[in-house]
Amino acid sequence: MLHSVKAVTHRLARQYTAKANRSILSQDIKKIKNYEPKISGTHANRVYVWGFQETGALGLQTNVKKAQERYTEMVHHPTRLQFSNNNEITDVTAGYGFTAYAVKRSDGETLFGSGLNTDSQLGFQVKGNSKDPANLDVIIYPTAIKLPREQGETDEDMQVRSMSSGRAHLVVVTQNGTVFTMGNNSYGQCGRSIIEDERYTASALINRIPQADICGAEDEIVAVECGQDHSLFLTKLGRVYSCGWGADGQTGQGNYHTAGQITLIAGDIEKERIVRVACSSDCVLALNEQGDIFGWGNSEYGQLDDSVDAETQICTPRALTLTKGIGKVKDVAAGGSFCMALNDQGLVYTWGYGILGFGPTVEQSSKPQHLLPPLFGRNDFSNATTVISIGCGVFHMGAVNSDGDLFMWGKNRFGHLGLGHKKDQFFPFKAAINGKVTKVAYGVDHTIALCRPHI
Amino acid sequence: MEITLALLKPHVLRNTYALRQLKALIASNFDVLQAKEVRITKEISECFYAEHKGKFFYQRLTSFMQSGPCYALILQSESCIQKWRQLMGPTKVFRAVYTEPDSIRALYGLSDTRNACHGSDSEASAMREIGILFPEFDVTRIRSSQANNSKSA
Repeated sequence: MLHSVKAVTHRLARQYTAKANRSILSQDIKKIKNYEPKISGTHANRVYVWGFQETGALGLQTNVKKAQERYTEMVHHPTRLQFSNNNEITDVTAGYGFTAYAVKRSDGETLFGSGLNTDSQLGFQVKGNSKDPANLDVIIYPTAIKLPREQGETDEDMQVRSMSSGRAHLVVVTQNGTVFTMGNNSYGQCGRSIIEDERYTASALINRIPQADICGAEDEIVAVECGQDHSLFLTKLGRVYSCGWGADGQTGQGNYHTAGQITLIAGDIEKERIVRVACSSDCVLALNEQGDIFGWGNSEYGQLDDSVDAETQICTPRALTLTKGIGKVKDVAAGGSFCMALNDQGLVYTWGYGILGFGPTVEQSSKPQHLLPPLFGRNDFSNATTVISIGCGVFHMGAVNSDGDLFMWGKNRFGHLGLGHKKDQFFPFKAAINGKVTKVAYGVDHTIALCRPHI
Repeated sequence: MEITLALLKPHVLRNTYALRQLKALIASNFDVLQAKEVRITKEISECFYAEHKGKFFYQRLTSFMQSGPCYALILQSESCIQKWRQLMGPTKVFRAVYTEPDSIRALYGLSDTRNACHGSDSEASAMREIGILFPEFDVTRIRSSQANNSKSA
């Protein structure tokens, strides 16, 4: 019995191999092309994108016709951006329906963008050739944003030092310390005075502000952070400047006005050296050198103050009391209705309202509580794994650990958690990205991750 | 049949996709009697939101409404005030995204203020708000046709 089975399989296999061998033998081996796979390394950074696709923010499509044929409203899985294969991308930022990339290129272009451009937040983009200057509402593939140069400014000067995007505006600081703002300025978020009834569509206006005009010659701007309709500038000496919408106090200028003038803000941070500012909506968190948290802006969900008679809008920076006792804080993030902090033990704390990562039953927590390290990849075999950076969009949160893995949780708006489904995620869950994540840009309904290859 | 005022707020108008979706949704659910792009000036918003004057969010709401053009529509259908409010979902976007994830505000709202749209809450306020944004619209015409309808029915 056994013998016969063996015989049958053998005969089948032989038939197959015999045929295959014959076909190879009949070929001249010298003519068979030796296939050498392309090794990654020409561009160390690669970019993965996911979330809402219709706005063009993902920059995955090259052709409008093809896009209509293969209709995909959202991309649930992290997908590699083709643009990043040919370009060395150094930084990314995600706004509401648009994305901007800082790029190092031989042709001198340093800034690219794709997505919604209805407020010219990606600059003035012409369709086809320059004789047909129809401004594009939506850009589906990353396109160069031309920063206006002054005489003598080199490509190196125009490299991006820091950038951030809001609901409909983009702020970029270049290596030579020039601030460029573009897009919607209806609240003064571009750092210039508000013009009544200004049309932002098809506007070629890019506002240029030398950093000395903002913080003086002895200081320099090291980072920018935009809320939805306001902008914050962080300097080397640890000062914070702001402009834009202040109706919730998010400009921290001690009033609830809109401000087109970039102004130094004081309050409790006046004598502090601030090293990080975080904001994705209307609530702002700041971190000083010692690891203490300060906050201002919207606090309707008790993010900044959990006492009974707490104010819902705080217009002057204040040292937070509710985060006392969580240790030295290394990183902060502020969403629409919640906040996050990362301490030097690598513990991620969340508080406020929304999906905080503690499962489907916890929707509000007025006290910061930490998520357990095993949720972020720590186990018996990788004891040293710890969270190194955190971030959040308006509705979702994320954390990157020391292995370069990205964990996401929260509201899954248009699939922007990148977990392969549209359901909300109640605990941190690892997103399947083929690379080590170095930076994540959290948009309102899309997410962009800057990665390095595993090898 | 009832009429109501629907208002699409500035940030939705800047998102071409959202605007297209909302217009399609409205067209499939209501008869649009009139529609136009309006700029809410300081005077209009003070008049429009007079009932909220003195509340902590009043200044925030009015400055938001002034930040860009809005799109105003007069909708008509059976119990249309209720129907439009149902489509909109809860006022607070941060709660709406969990309680009614398919509502307009959950899909296109960005924060509790930037909550995508507005709808009249009663017949009286619908008349008042239409009067503010569509001063040329003749409400009595609708009333008389309503009366005729009820007579013939």
